Formats: sequence, structure tokens, C-alpha cells
Amino acid sequence: MKKTARAAILLATALVPVSAQAAQELNALIWCDHGDPALLEPFEKAHDVKVNIKEYQGTAEALTILEQSRPGDWDVMVIDAVDVGRAVDRGILAPLPADALPTADFFPELVMESHNSRDSVIYAVTDKFGYNTIAYDKTKVEPADMASLKALWSEKYAGRIGLYDYYLPMLGLVGIAQGVPTSALGAEKIETLRDPLMALKKNTKLVADVVGSQTALATGEVDILLGGGEFLTATLHAENPNLDWTIPTEGAALWAQSLAVLKDSGQPELALEFVKYVTSPEGQARLATSSCYWGMPANAKAGEHLSAEQKAVLRWDEQAEYLKRAQLYPIPSAEDDAAMQDLWTDMLQN
Amino acid sequence: MRFLSWAYLGLMFLFILLPVLALVAFSFQDGRLPVPPLKGVTLEWYAKVLADRDLMAALWHSFLVAFGSSAMALLLGFLAASGLARAVLPGSALMRGLLIAPLTVSYLIIALGLLQVFNATGVRPSLFATGIGHVVINLPLCFSIIYAAMGEHQRSALRAARDLGAREWQVLALVSAPTLAPALAAAFFLSVTFSWDEFIIAFLLTRFEVTLPVEIWSMLRSGLSPATNAIGSLVFLVSVAILLALEFTLFRKSRP
Amino acid sequence: MSIERIERRQGAALVAPAMLWTLAFFLLPFLAMIWMSLSHLEGREVVSGPGLENYQRIFTDPSLRRGIWVSLQISAVVTVISVILAWPLAWIIATRVPEKWRRLALLLAVLPFWTSYVVRSYSWALVLGENGLIMQSLIGAGLLEAPIQIMATRSATIIGFVHFFTMLLTLTIYSNLVQLPPNYARAAEDLGASRWQVIRLVILPLTLPGMVTGAFLTFVLCIGDYITPQILGGNSELTLPQLIMLQLGRRGDYPMASALAVVLMVLVTLAYAACARWLRMERV
Repeated sequence: MKKTARAAILLATALVPVSAQAAQELNALIWCDHGDPALLEPFEKAHDVKVNIKEYQGTAEALTILEQSRPGDWDVMVIDAVDVGRAVDRGILAPLPADALPTADFFPELVMESHNSRDSVIYAVTDKFGYNTIAYDKTKVEPADMASLKALWSEKYAGRIGLYDYYLPMLGLVGIAQGVPTSALGAEKIETLRDPLMALKKNTKLVADVVGSQTALATGEVDILLGGGEFLTATLHAENPNLDWTIPTEGAALWAQSLAVLKDSGQPELALEFVKYVTSPEGQARLATSSCYWGMPANAKAGEHLSAEQKAVLRWDEQAEYLKRAQLYPIPSAEDDAAMQDLWTDMLQN
Repeated sequence: MRFLSWAYLGLMFLFILLPVLALVAFSFQDGRLPVPPLKGVTLEWYAKVLADRDLMAALWHSFLVAFGSSAMALLLGFLAASGLARAVLPGSALMRGLLIAPLTVSYLIIALGLLQVFNATGVRPSLFATGIGHVVINLPLCFSIIYAAMGEHQRSALRAARDLGAREWQVLALVSAPTLAPALAAAFFLSVTFSWDEFIIAFLLTRFEVTLPVEIWSMLRSGLSPATNAIGSLVFLVSVAILLALEFTLFRKSRP
Repeated sequence: MSIERIERRQGAALVAPAMLWTLAFFLLPFLAMIWMSLSHLEGREVVSGPGLENYQRIFTDPSLRRGIWVSLQISAVVTVISVILAWPLAWIIATRVPEKWRRLALLLAVLPFWTSYVVRSYSWALVLGENGLIMQSLIGAGLLEAPIQIMATRSATIIGFVHFFTMLLTLTIYSNLVQLPPNYARAAEDLGASRWQVIRLVILPLTLPGMVTGAFLTFVLCIGDYITPQILGGNSELTLPQLIMLQLGRRGDYPMASALAVVLMVLVTLAYAACARWLRMERV
């Protein structure tokens, strides 16, 4: 029996994760774009730290992960800008010193004080944004048609449409098409989206995550991808330059991600350094062109570190016009959120 | 009849091998998309995969978890089978049933249950937690294979050894284990295979250090690329090489 | 003390570690999950049970109910098709292929086992897509004018599953076939049975246990699988495991995920009860 015990202990020690080489570790709960080694390596080298990353899919999942972790497990997190408030409600974010953040260099619309701060305390900082809108293959559709979301409900494009599988921006878009601004998408409005959503489903060929959408669009399985934008087409630009996207006259959904330091972090200084690095012009340029997906940097100075070609893919010069037309993600209450998810699941399942 | 048989065989082989052939062929694609047409042949994706530190770390983690958890499952399964084979214990049918039960339960259920218990007790998600889960799925396998291989003659041999004054661990290690070597080897390799390939438990129970299937999954989620074909082909070709090596060395002798 | 008592005590000591492991890491988590399924989520907070709110929702919410139905349909269809495809294959390899090529044939028939499981589904996605190998070859050969959509439909999920389980069943049925004494078939032939009759009346019934064991495993693995429908099914409809992962990923709703897992477990148990008389799990 002793032998068993000894073998068990041996095994246990063999299985315990080998601790990394670097002196320190920074634990980050992120979306996949922040996991690009090209983004992390300069920071890791400069601070002799290993950045451990864990990707998540939705804010609810992230909050559950945090809830189930022990204090000090996490140092920084990426979160949808519109959901920062939910994290602040739970008291899990640490205040950020205003003078450490280059928000003065930001696109003004992206400072998003009302979302990132509460009672003039800053809890998070926007680091990337983009649009959930219409992406398409310009050789297969008439680009003029794409100026209106109505095209998606038309007979003409039936069976050639793909939907991006994330309920928030997508219901936002369906609402925008119906003339309901995302900010007005309350309980009573959500049900009114059911019929247009089901009609849209009849016109669609598939509903897919980022990769599925990319594949479908790039290989011509669908000609239009609703919910797509630069984050879908940019990495495929070299492969298929016919892929394009636009913001229709009705508008589109604006996504913005924020970076925050966790209150229970055991190394707040290092965590803040990470935030400073990611929001610096160089970090912003690397984040904007991350291998996972591209998106506009919140810091306008990042432009100095981007090539003309990269800026063209990102539509750098058209942002002012785009930002005017785009609307932020809906910010539902818990009940509305559940109702929206149910509606989306119903759409998938029918 | 004869012709029909061969035609069927050919068609089935085509069906079975088609995805693997496509996988390997487009791992050499000179372009970003692993779909026809084949634009040219390049080894660029293999170079990229071999230089990817996360992927190589995941390979190592998978190796650790597979061999560690299989060794543990083998040990526990062997001891339990020896115990149950040697004496009629009260409730031994119930114990056998319980030991085999995880075999009939979906991995997703095992993963979900473990996740909740680990959360409640403060065990962090890790390779270790994943290893525990993999022992749960492989223990029934090891146990049933070894138990089936233990016959009545085994029991008499053990008794004889003990009568001759051998100690308990000596009986197990020097008499029992060697005679069961083929069953032990089979159980071990089967366990390694299952653990190596397991996704959902590893997905839910790991955090920073992940196993290969989980790493491939996140590669898939972050973009379509012939690199995924390359890592898939590499794993496949290495596995087949090991299989052939075993076929021509170990198993050759035992062939009738 | 009698030898029996010593052996019994030693036996118990040897079984103990495995039993403890199974109790701690299988039975306990399982019970914890059932307990969790009796709580429910209100707003964003978990309200501790016990209550049957989740189960009520599962049986009244059409989307969730449909998930159960979709899973059952897919698993049943996959099991049937796989058995039908695998049996002749195993039989041909066991009886038609010359002895010296038999091992090679069997090896080829299960070769894709050795690709990683996630990669296997992914490679079907590449093959089945509209720009994939199959459609492009068919169009190139002039057999098809425009591609047909298979990817992101239930057919793709089924093809992916059938591919894997045909291999599994070929193995179990083959090992059953080669264990049959050849003189059974010869005796039947001597008594005047035709070849078809021999297969139908003698060989087929004798392979039933292997077939049912394989079919049961197929059903269990199929109904609990997340990857294949997620990669190949393209969200055109959601299976039970996809719904479970959706509860975890999008909502952080552990109680609901647990309740759906319990439903999954019940389905598997029913399947087990249905084929229990032919099953000998110890012999898998």
C-alpha cells in the first residue's frame, strides 16, 4: 500500500504544472486578439514576465470564471465596454489612475467615460473597437444594395447570407433595421424583433462563429455576412481582396472592448504597466493587427505605427463618418439579457 | 458477389480515408485557405507550427496528462482487479458495477460534475485537474480489461506464491503483473489514446496550460489556416509511425 | 483466521484506492451536479434549490425540448447507418480479404482514428464545404452544376459522426466475427443453406452481442459529443451538448447546464436499459 501512495505522490508531482521560466507571471482573462504573441512578447521581454492567458466567449462566462477563482488569481481582464458596469457592480475592478492613461490621444468617441467610469472613478479603458455590420464579396453582390440593411430581407439575396453568432450585436442590428435604436432595446421591444429575425433566418444559409463566418465568406459559401466587419475581412484581405464591408445608412453596431485591472490582483503595478503598454501607440498598433482579428485601435496615435496598407484595410480615414452612424451594443438588464438570449436560441433552433 | 465485395471495400476505404487525405494534402497549401484549388506546395505551415511555442507546450502537456493519468488508471485498475479476483467480497457485484459505471456516462457529464466539485473546494483548473478527470474515464477501461484477463488459474497461482512465503507486493509485482503483461500493455495504450484525444474534460478543467486538442480548438476559433492542417497531419503521421513500429516489433512475434 | 478471511481483507484493501477514486471523482461530482440542477438562476444570481424550475423550463421551452429531440434523432440515425455500413465492411475484411492482407486492411479501415479528434471534424469541414474537395471534384467532372449545401446542416454532422463510428463498429464486429468457429458456417452449408442464408441465419445472430455493444457505445458517445455538431452542424440547430455549453459559455448558468446534463444522463440510461440484455460491458 505504501508503494501505491509513493507512486501516487510521484505522479502528482509529475503532473503539477511546471512553473514557467520567467520571474513573474501575469494572469489575463481575455478575448483571443490579446493572446497574439506578437502583442505580448515585447511586454514580456521588457518586464521579464510571462503573460498567462485564458480566452472566454461571453461576459457571463468571464464573470463566472472570476467568481469561481480565488482572490489574486487574475490580474487583468478584457471586457466588452458596455459590460464594464456589470463588473463594477460586483466590485471586482480596481480604479485606474487617470494620469497613467493616454485617453487624451484617443478617438474622442472611444473614451467612453459613461461606460468606463463611475462617480468619476475610472475602472477600465477602451483599447479596441470596430463594427458589426455588413461584410460582403463585392464581386458577387451589387455594392449599392449594401447601403441598406433592407437588402438582407429581400428575395434577391435569399440563401446567400450568413449570420455572425453573437446575439447582442445581431439583435442590435435587427433592431436598427427596424428603426429601433440599440439604446431603446428594452423588454417590450425585444419581442417585436422576433418576426423580422425569423424572416431573416429564412433568408440565411448559416449562422457561425468568427472562423465559420470567415470561412464561409472567403470560400464563397455565403456572399454576405451580417454582423461582419473589419474583424472578419481584414485577416483575409491578402487572400481574397474582393471582401469588403460597409456601414449602411440605417447604421450598424459599434463594438468596443475595454481593459481593466482586477481589484484582487496581487501585483497591481505590473497589471497597470500592462494596461499602459496595450494602450500605448505601439501596443495599440499590434493589438489592432492581432493575428486573431483586426480592429481599430482606440488610441489615434497608433496610426504612426501602422503601414498605409494596414490603415487602408482598417478604413482609418473613414472612421469619423462611421462613428457618427454606428450605435453602441445594447446594454440589457439581466432579464432582458435572458430574453435576448432566448430569442436568439429560438432563432437557431427553428 | 466477389466484385461487389471489392467495390464495397474500395468505396468504404475512400470514405474513411478521404478526410485524412484532404487534411494532409492541404497542409502543404501555398496560401491562407486550406481548400481547393491547391495553389502550390510549401512547407511554410510546418515551420510555423513547429516554431509555435504554445502549440509545442500543449503537445508536452498532452503527453504529461496522457501518460500520467494512464499510469494512475492502470495502477488503480490493476489493484482493484487483483482484489476483486482474489476473493468474493461482500457487495463485489456492486463494486464492479460502480467501477465500470463511468464508461456509460458522457465525458461532458463527468467534466461538468468535476468542474462544480473543484469550484466548490477551491481546486484551480489545471493539467492536474484534467489528469484526475482522465483517470476517471480510463479507470473503468483498465479495470475491465485486466479483470477479464484474470482467470481461475491466476487465483491459484497467487495462492501458491503466497503459500511459498511471498509477500503481498511481491505476489502482485513479480507474479501477477508479468503474467498479465499483455492485458496491462493493452489497457495502458488504450488509456493513453483516449486521454491524448480527449477534449471536453480538458477544455473545462484547464486554464493557462492546455492540452493539444484544446489548443487546436482555439486555433480553429481564431482563424482558418493550413497551420491547423499541418499540426493535425504531424500528429497523425507520428501516431501512425509509432503504430507501425509497434506492429513490426512488439506484435510481430505474437502473431500466430 | 481462515484463508478466505485473509483474502477477503486483502482484497478489500486492494479495491479500496480505485473505489475511493471513483467515489470522490465520479459519484460525488455526479451527485453535486444533480443537486446543482435543482437550483436555478434568477437574473444573474443563483437561487439555491431544491426546486424543479429548470426541469419545468426544459419541458416547456420549445427550443430546449427541440434540442433533446434533435440529439435523439441524430444519435439514432448515426447508430443505424454506422451499423449498416460497418457490418459488411467487417465481414469482407474477415472473410474475403486474403489472410496475409487482413491486418493491413483492418489497419487502413481504422487509420483516421490516429488523427486528433478535433482535427477529424475539421477535415470533414474542409472536404464538405462548397469549395471543398467533394463539390469541386463533382463540378469539375461535370456531374454537378452548382454546389449543394452540406456543410452547416444536419447532414454534415451525421457524416462526421458516421465516419468515426463506422470505424469503431468495424473493429468491434470484426473481433466478434473472427472469434466465430468457421465450422458453424460450414455445417450450415453442408445442411444445404445458401450463402445468404448462412449470413442471415447463422453469422448475423452470432455477431449480435458485438453489434449491440458497439451500437450502444456509438449512441452514448454520439449523444454526448459537442465538437462534431459544433464544427460541422454550423448552428443550424442545436444538440443537447451544444445547449449545455451555451448555458456555460453565454449565460454562466450552471444550474441549467446541470439540469440538461441530467436529462442527457437519463437518455443514456434509457438506451442502456433498452440493450442491457445483450450488453456485457466488462467485455468491451
